[in-house]
Amino acid sequence: MVETREESAERKWVGKSIQRIEDPRLLLGRGGYIDDMRLPGMLHAALVRSPHAHARIKSVNVEAARRLPGVTAVVTGEEAAELCNPMPDFGPDPTRHEWRCLAKDKVRYVGEGVAAVVAESRAVAEDACDLVEVEYEPLPPVVDPEAAMEPDSPLVHDALGSNIAYEKTMVFGEVDRDFEGADVVVSDHLRWHRSSGQPLETVGAIGNFDPGSGMMTIHVNSLTFTSYLFMVANTLKVPSNRLDIHPHPAGGSFGSKFWAVKVAIIAGMLAKHTGRPVKFIEDRVDNISNSDHHGSDRTYQVELAATRGGILKSLRVKVVDDYGAYIQFGVGHHGNALAQAVGPYRIGSLQYELHAVLTNKCQQGAYRGFGSEVQNWVLERMVDLMARELEMDPVELRRKNFIQPDQFPYFIPNGNLYDSGNYEGVLDKALELSDYESWREEQRRLREEEGRYVGIGICTAQERSVFSATEFWFWFDEPAAPVTSMPESVTLDVDAMGNITATLYSCAFWGNSPETMVAQLVAEEFDVEPSQVNVVYSGTNQGLPATGPGGSRFTVMIAGAVQGASKKIKDKAFKIAEHLLEAAPGDLEWSEGGVAVKGSPDRRKELSEIAMAAHLFKHSLPDEIESGLEADQVYDHPYTTMPSEDRKNLGVFYPFVGHACHIPVVEVDIETGKVSFLRYTAVHDAGTVVNPRSLNGHIIGGIAQGLGTALLEEFVYDESGQLLTSSYQDYLIPSALDVPEVVVGHHETPSPYTVHGIKGAGEGGRMMAPAAISSAIDDALRPLGVRVRELPATPERILGWIEAAQAQSSS
Amino acid sequence: MKPAPFNYHAPSTTEEAVGLLAELGSQGRILAGGQSLFQLMNFRVVKPENLIDINPVSELDYIRVDDGTLAIGARTRQSALERSTEAARHSPLIVEAVKNVAHPSVRNRGTVGGSVAYADPASELPAVVLTSGGEVVLTGADGQRTLSAGDFFRGPYTNACSPDELLTEVRLPRWPDGTGHAFLEFQRKHGSYALVGTAVLVHLDGESIDRVAISLCGVDQTPVRASRAEDLVRGNVPSDGLFEEAAAEATSDLHPLPDVKGSAAYRLKLARVYVRRALELAVSRAKGERP
Repeated sequence: MVETREESAERKWVGKSIQRIEDPRLLLGRGGYIDDMRLPGMLHAALVRSPHAHARIKSVNVEAARRLPGVTAVVTGEEAAELCNPMPDFGPDPTRHEWRCLAKDKVRYVGEGVAAVVAESRAVAEDACDLVEVEYEPLPPVVDPEAAMEPDSPLVHDALGSNIAYEKTMVFGEVDRDFEGADVVVSDHLRWHRSSGQPLETVGAIGNFDPGSGMMTIHVNSLTFTSYLFMVANTLKVPSNRLDIHPHPAGGSFGSKFWAVKVAIIAGMLAKHTGRPVKFIEDRVDNISNSDHHGSDRTYQVELAATRGGILKSLRVKVVDDYGAYIQFGVGHHGNALAQAVGPYRIGSLQYELHAVLTNKCQQGAYRGFGSEVQNWVLERMVDLMARELEMDPVELRRKNFIQPDQFPYFIPNGNLYDSGNYEGVLDKALELSDYESWREEQRRLREEEGRYVGIGICTAQERSVFSATEFWFWFDEPAAPVTSMPESVTLDVDAMGNITATLYSCAFWGNSPETMVAQLVAEEFDVEPSQVNVVYSGTNQGLPATGPGGSRFTVMIAGAVQGASKKIKDKAFKIAEHLLEAAPGDLEWSEGGVAVKGSPDRRKELSEIAMAAHLFKHSLPDEIESGLEADQVYDHPYTTMPSEDRKNLGVFYPFVGHACHIPVVEVDIETGKVSFLRYTAVHDAGTVVNPRSLNGHIIGGIAQGLGTALLEEFVYDESGQLLTSSYQDYLIPSALDVPEVVVGHHETPSPYTVHGIKGAGEGGRMMAPAAISSAIDDALRPLGVRVRELPATPERILGWIEAAQAQSSS
Repeated sequence: MKPAPFNYHAPSTTEEAVGLLAELGSQGRILAGGQSLFQLMNFRVVKPENLIDINPVSELDYIRVDDGTLAIGARTRQSALERSTEAARHSPLIVEAVKNVAHPSVRNRGTVGGSVAYADPASELPAVVLTSGGEVVLTGADGQRTLSAGDFFRGPYTNACSPDELLTEVRLPRWPDGTGHAFLEFQRKHGSYALVGTAVLVHLDGESIDRVAISLCGVDQTPVRASRAEDLVRGNVPSDGLFEEAAAEATSDLHPLPDVKGSAAYRLKLARVYVRRALELAVSRAKGERP
């Protein structure tokens, strides 16, 4: 049952740009990062990494390493397989591509752990890694996903019998009919190379096992999916109620720590094995080569059909996704793509053909967008191509096809729902903020008078938020675990002084400013200052159901939990106040942080007075009131429906859908292929904004990452499967000096289904920037007939495209 | 990512440092700013048994003009060079070049001598020393010798220093008043390694070029002086056509080392564009048209 939210009265704290509560701590280095934490008697671990992409492990000789002074233990992959069960895996056929914390029998990518060394210091552990002798029998590497699909290809996982982990074609609506009836069909081949989120602090954990109680405690800077940590307990062979995971500041995730459980499992395994606390923190090479969180790596063949008048009709997508050596989340990334597959446009039908392929590379995980950003790029590439084909202004083509404000809630062909939106409103604001018309004039002038190649890009795309877990399993006819809700919980506790503590249950120290959000949301409910709210994190062992950040869900979900818990507390506070003020229930109202008699504002009780009574004077209160003033609230996904049996309709699985328009202005140096920015404008509609200041940070940071994806970042594996970009000398991430100043605008179309009308907005910058920047490069190079069909658009690639276009036009 | 074990020595004078080198021979390695060496050690690409830290050797920290030559002590920080008015007056080329070295935090620690001695073919300062007709002073237990830049750079990360010698000074002769300079380089992102760098000095006698030096970095085993291109330019009146011709000549016999940031063919194309642009800029400065 879905209720439409009533527009609430004016809000006091939600919508205010307060400074982030986390800032003083995190910016001054007082956050308590995992690498700063030390436990008495703590040992340090390091990994022996595979230098081969694909090889059988013939023997591992650890004798010399064990004898090195300071070394406590060396654990090989074979021994780890005794100490631990396989890693938790949500993919198809998990038993046929078994994933372990250390490789057993064979290595499947460069950087995969083969053995772990535990020593008195990290330096000694690394010395000992150098002494571990591993004998490998190299096997033919599987690098090219297209070749990997051939029946005679060497196999990444022999038990699977194929490198195709999953394939399926889904058809929604009358695709063939729409293509046959179309006046114009454009098609293209597009390539998106792999990159990933780059945290300042890599994944780290301290395992601490108490043999007396059997408790396994792990301090970790990673993880989401709190409610699924029983799977980690299973891997570690400890009872689920004897595993307690304590969250620490992530030090950056951007998705890259979404389910980064391997480090925690290795630390826990080694702690149990040695009987002492063990810290394992990835070094940068570990993180780049062995994070389990590389981003999408896709090759597309796409067709878009339209009428001569520019009405978009249907979209056909064929995608090959190179998942690397394992497939831990299945193809949820394509669930993300499907959530907004037709963008903001009234495209009536959709075909989606997916081939998920295994190769000898680090496996995919999560990266800001989780695969939806690639779909945005693909669709926007095709819309630009259609505009060119129809000789229409790309802005006008978009405008013509937008879903209109009166069409919401709007079901897209596969069954997902867009809750609300005003796409023309966003577009108009972006055109205005970007000085679009005057830049068009300036572009002409610079071209004609100075011979410069300036381009104005446009992207109008969707930003889905708050996933339902159905997107992970609706791919399968008989899902192993047809879960739906991904709940989030909070406990609010008003102490005797009236101060409020909010306890969070997910490992939430990501960039989503959980403490600022919760403080603002609680302040809104109780009409108190956000500074009165203390936010703490529970270990998982005492935890309520929680999922954690990911898929831009946290703020929406925690707002629901906060509202529910607040209502319970306020209901009790009213009851107490009725007694203290000798007033009838209907005569009281919440006012300025306390309870007052309507019409007699002087007759009031502050929250602190009520709290004092609740905590200490139970016997002065009516019998049914128990001591204390606290409440839990578990908040379930507010709007999700089940997929149909035949999967012609996937149900509602990602319904709170924001929108954005980015307009970058770039210049391309046509002699070198270098792209520089003259201006960048971004307007986002994320429903009701809780804190515009922190949302701006999200948008700008996301644009920086999107710029990296568009121009710089690529994990390059050579033909033998060697990773050529294993440090920041070769894997280029943009710095502040490479990112233009961004003009940010907001347009607020509240969601009718969420508390306060909030939509999730953590990923929007990166979901738009690659499409927008590609469009700008196209526009700059339009006189030369060049289009961006591959990212990153490195200067060398761009120069190659220019030369190819010139060769073609002169022949 | 920790280095392999090593012994640490911290001499406080050049004499002590050179004495340690004589004693330790090839087992000793000089640590200056550490901006390259520590990376190599942390990756365990190199595992020196002994580090001789010359950071305490303050007598090698100077920038001065001797007899018309700019003399820079080996331990001088790159950031000091960047801010030196003496250097800016004497050799604006090296000041323009050093600003391209990585980021301010790296330049605050990195040294002039360290950068020259490391002989990274993509590095800026070696190219400038070569362009200017500069020299390096090597000090050993038996005394000093001075080598021209052309004789000093032997290959990628290879120089003519003997194991018992310490590079103690870099010397740049002064070019005549009115010399135009240009240092331009192509980086994939701000502060990353140059795919191609070009250093140009040009002096005009009336309308025509009477002195010129062109060097490139990032395009071969060592920094390269483009002598044939210089010959082509010298004695001629600057023109677009001349610059284009010189750029083609300067890049006609180069052998760039490819990597994931740019293929050899791409680096050659860039080199040609950058030589032309650097010539244009240097000439316009020589004419006083640009600052």
